[in-house]
Amino acid sequence: MLGSTADSLFWMFRYIERVENTLCMIESGFQLYLLSSSNLKNEWDAILRTNSIRHHFFKKNNSLDSLNIINFMLKDPKNFNNILILIEKARENARRSRVSITSEVWEAINTCWLYLNEELNKKINENKIQIIIKNTREKIALIFGFLERSMLKNEILNFCYLGTFIERFDNTVRILNTRYYLLLDEKKIRFEGYDNFQLEMILRSISSYRSYMWKNQNEIKANKVSYFLISDKDMPKSLMFCVNETIKNLRSIHKKNFLNKKSYLNVLSIQKKIKQKNRNFNDYSFLNSLFKLNMTLAANIEEEFNFQ
Amino acid sequence: MTYFAKTYDEAFINENSVRTNYKKFISWYKNQDNSELTKINSDAMKFFENTGVSFKVYSSDKKENLIPFDIIPRIINPKEWNKLVKGITQRVLAINFFLTDIYGQQEIIKHGVIPVDLIQNNPAFLKQMLGFTPPNKTYNHISGIDLIKTNSDNFYVLEDNVRVPSGASYMIENRDTMIKLFPELISRYKVSDNRNYTKYLSEILKKSSPQKTKINPNIVLLTPGIYNSAFFEHAFLADKLGVELVEGKDLRVINKYLNMKTIDGWKRVDVIYRRIDDIFLDPLSFKEDSFLGVPGLMEVYRNKNVTIANAPGTGISDDKSIYSYIPDIIKFYLGQKPILKNVKTFKCRIKDELKYVLKNLNKLVVKEVHGSGGYGMLVGPLASKTEISKFKNKITKNPYSYIAQPTLSLSTCPIYTKKGLTPRHVDLRCFALLAQEKVTVTSGGLTRVALKKGSLVVNSSQGGGTKDTWILSS
Repeated sequence: MLGSTADSLFWMFRYIERVENTLCMIESGFQLYLLSSSNLKNEWDAILRTNSIRHHFFKKNNSLDSLNIINFMLKDPKNFNNILILIEKARENARRSRVSITSEVWEAINTCWLYLNEELNKKINENKIQIIIKNTREKIALIFGFLERSMLKNEILNFCYLGTFIERFDNTVRILNTRYYLLLDEKKIRFEGYDNFQLEMILRSISSYRSYMWKNQNEIKANKVSYFLISDKDMPKSLMFCVNETIKNLRSIHKKNFLNKKSYLNVLSIQKKIKQKNRNFNDYSFLNSLFKLNMTLAANIEEEFNFQ
Repeated sequence: MTYFAKTYDEAFINENSVRTNYKKFISWYKNQDNSELTKINSDAMKFFENTGVSFKVYSSDKKENLIPFDIIPRIINPKEWNKLVKGITQRVLAINFFLTDIYGQQEIIKHGVIPVDLIQNNPAFLKQMLGFTPPNKTYNHISGIDLIKTNSDNFYVLEDNVRVPSGASYMIENRDTMIKLFPELISRYKVSDNRNYTKYLSEILKKSSPQKTKINPNIVLLTPGIYNSAFFEHAFLADKLGVELVEGKDLRVINKYLNMKTIDGWKRVDVIYRRIDDIFLDPLSFKEDSFLGVPGLMEVYRNKNVTIANAPGTGISDDKSIYSYIPDIIKFYLGQKPILKNVKTFKCRIKDELKYVLKNLNKLVVKEVHGSGGYGMLVGPLASKTEISKFKNKITKNPYSYIAQPTLSLSTCPIYTKKGLTPRHVDLRCFALLAQEKVTVTSGGLTRVALKKGSLVVNSSQGGGTKDTWILSS
């Protein structure tokens, strides 16, 4: 397998995952907008910061207007991580690695790209936002469905998953990093406007509200939310889950020689850091170090497998 | 709608009388519900869009365009086809002999068959290839021969494409599409399969390997990348061949061998099926600022440590100025009479012919000798007076760069429209594969069709479409 093909597969799935994560955030913000929530502005502000696009947004806008933000996140060319650019990059990488993916996976990506281009190049209609997000998420699910069902279980698939989970880790850790103050133990620090509602929004921004409630008997508590997002090995968006999947895929590509690889050592250290936290989340400075370690891990992978 | 063809039509003798090839098809067609066909016709385009079959036109922005597909097949009878196969085989073999000679002893020049200046001053002639015989003595592994028909008897060769001919993927996709759209129609006819093209391609590439001992040589397909107009085809073929699709940056010369960068390190490459032009292959030998190729590739090639298919320098044989000599080339190397005819060609480099061309520009098609894809071309009968006088200046300034041909009355085939069948001009590209002096011509080929009424330009870069091409098994 070519190093450059591994590169394309890895990035194709980073971008696809990023599309999905961005849409989840838009959706959670949009829900608040529909409810005319008093927390609306804080929430959009957090979303913009999570995506590192707040600064770019305010170059053009003076206020946190919901529809302007949604438009900015979906299609504004000033936003280098807008949905149209992300799906374009995902498809470009899919084209580069066209020979390695099945025609089912390729067509699923291609039709998702066609759909988004058709919908987003029109003027965005407020009434259609939810439908576009729902349809796109379904199309992305189709990509992952075909990935699972039509691809050989070999290193090609491993690189697709490495991209997916490194990106997902990045997304979850960014969300935690932006809002860690909400998750600090409620007895120690109390913030103005701090309530369960905002914890709920964290869960909604990664579409995990229902699964959290199901697992925690409908009780929202900061410590439990933290555990759910960071350490719960059954939660597909948690840091622990992403790390475990990354380990699995790295071992599979490296076969027997993974023990002394930088990427493997690095991901083990991330796993250890999370385990050490146990259920004690009073100190969140470690989130920043996890964020950096994950970036180093991505760089390790690029180097070890001769991406260019 | 009445069906009225001005020139020779391959399906209809006149409105009420159908040629034998098409009888079965037309009776089927007449029983179809027109609104159903309209729906199928638009389904076909949707199908191409979703699968990402596309062709990029250089001048436009990043947009990919679909090549329009017409659902009415072109049908060729086995007798006609057998003659085509013999004729194409003959040309492909003669071209390989010509290339071996022109980069070797140059007997054909010594015998005065071809003027030396046609070779010497020709940018398609690569001095780097002189005195070197490629592995297995094969230059044109893959050829795409363009043919046109003007009457019931004859196909004429319009061009021999032996550099990096494209279109095979569309030929195969067209068949796949027809099978999806009209399963019961296809099963009624005995249509020869064209999808074995990639199987034969794989075989000839394996045979071309310089390492005779290796059972499974490492073959790669070299593409300029995803922004190339034919990238879809590159990926399609690499996929069907089961080989890596590489770009220049994936390759490097290490210790006299060519290697590709894999996730486990460098791996040796034995055969390159290249889809980039000669001058981009190796910045050390050709264009210095090219990033598409591999520095040092030509030296590896000259040491016979890698095969390049097609060989660098094959372009000299499909040059439009050499084209008119192909019948002489066939006679010289094979001692045979050419089976397929050439189109009458006036060489502007010859004084008398230039004189004729300049006088008759409004009747002729003038082509740039090194042009391709229908660019840099004048279609006399359709051109305005200013265009003609502009071209007159161009030719007078540089007569060596132009040839002219009479406007041919290209045959027509029916295409589907909402109002019914209507005739449009077509040509045919046939694909021939060469290994160890054996030629395989794939049954069928790519029929290109000028979709605009009266237009003779079938190039996909200029609004042409394609059709499935059926050779009936005898």
